[in-house]
Amino acid sequence: MDRTRDRRSGTAHAHAWLTTVVAALGVGVALLSTVPAARAQEVTEVKVERVKPNKEDHPTLQFLKANRDFIRARFDLLREKTTARQGDAADIDPRFLAYQKMLAEIQTARESVVVANSQQQRLELFASITQLGTLETRLDVMERLLAEQRARLGVLQNDFTGDQQTALLVVVTGHPTDAGLGGFGIALDDREPLSVALSPEQRATLERGGTVEVFHGFVEPREQVIKISVTGDRWPASESGYATLDPTRDRLTLLRLDLSGMDAGRGAPSIQASTWLHSAGTPSGDR
Amino acid sequence: MRDRTQGLVDTRIRPNGIARVVVVAGLMLMVASAATAGERIPFAARAGLDLAKDAARSWAQDAALVYLENDEPLDGSGASGRWGYLFYSPTLEKSRVYSLRQGKIVVAEYLEMRFEAPPLASDWIDSGAALAAAEHGGGREFREKHAGRLGTMLLMRGAFAEDDPDETTWTLIYTAPDGPSLFIVVDASEGKVRRTWRG
Repeated sequence: MDRTRDRRSGTAHAHAWLTTVVAALGVGVALLSTVPAARAQEVTEVKVERVKPNKEDHPTLQFLKANRDFIRARFDLLREKTTARQGDAADIDPRFLAYQKMLAEIQTARESVVVANSQQQRLELFASITQLGTLETRLDVMERLLAEQRARLGVLQNDFTGDQQTALLVVVTGHPTDAGLGGFGIALDDREPLSVALSPEQRATLERGGTVEVFHGFVEPREQVIKISVTGDRWPASESGYATLDPTRDRLTLLRLDLSGMDAGRGAPSIQASTWLHSAGTPSGDR
Repeated sequence: MRDRTQGLVDTRIRPNGIARVVVVAGLMLMVASAATAGERIPFAARAGLDLAKDAARSWAQDAALVYLENDEPLDGSGASGRWGYLFYSPTLEKSRVYSLRQGKIVVAEYLEMRFEAPPLASDWIDSGAALAAAEHGGGREFREKHAGRLGTMLLMRGAFAEDDPDETTWTLIYTAPDGPSLFIVVDASEGKVRRTWRG
């Protein structure tokens, strides 16, 4: 009986051990698999290719293209005419109404600060302990007003800066050791190429290990090819590389071009490129 | 019957004969199984609108949606694997199309023609509701009688609504293997059939 109990107990122990080991292995495997994924989310290496990647061809708006003359002719039928529709006004965004109230509060707060300040100046003439207590109260009031002001700024920040559009910021770091760097060419899909000439100060910044911004603007949230060219003493004019990016919708994507390992022999593909997402949220108003 | 196509060209394939019907049925089955596997899931026209608008806003702040068309075959609920959204910018005087599939923009290109179309009304009904109205308004009967199928759905202002050219309308084009197509114009705000004709 005891032996049976021992055997059962042993089996239970073995099961417990096995369960623990399997669980530990599971956790380990899970950690191992999540760490690279987390890193991959932070910074993604981008290959700069010598040849522009081919795009798959997808026909679009086939009916419109096949019947464009007819459809354009029909637009001529669109003409101004009097209608009996009632022109009801649309509702005003309640946020805009709230801004008026906030402005009034700001004005009130400003006046309170002026009054408090004036009283504080008068109080400075007195040196008694009691009057210092009053001064402390006044300072508390000013602090509260400042906190309210911060909260209002937070509201404005959420309403406006929180509306991030899809954007791209291209920065350059590093400096090629064996060749002079004159500037860059950045060409996004279907856009006019952008030429950026480096000033002596910017070159010096790169040599010191700093970062130089070469492009910042809105981009379409889709996979696109960016043509990168480098100009300078030893860089041929036709020397270009192509990087494929897929900017995330409503986020700021950063593309870093590291030129430190670049050499004239390998050309633009020797640029080390990487992307990451700007993760800063809207700062708290109470900070 | 009077030809009212007025030179319109049907760009879709017309199935011909039982063999082709079988092939089409097979393709539909393949699409269904692909959807199950998470590939090329058809979606209604409005589902891609926000992304297309975001892209258009990056291109031009004053860009407005002026035209919409299915880029891949439609299913029975008015969904397509790919939709094309055309925007026009008055300041740039250019039109740019975004074709979306599975929540991604797979085509972004300029329309190589002048197309100063008026913006669509914002309250248009989705492709599913437009198809339901068209089916009740003669589409289903046409399909059953003529072994037809729905080939094209397009949303625009001014092209097919003769009584009120300012109205935003859906136009659905049903094709048949052995006869003229059926055009059904549906009011995009109320979902009522405005016109039907064969041609």
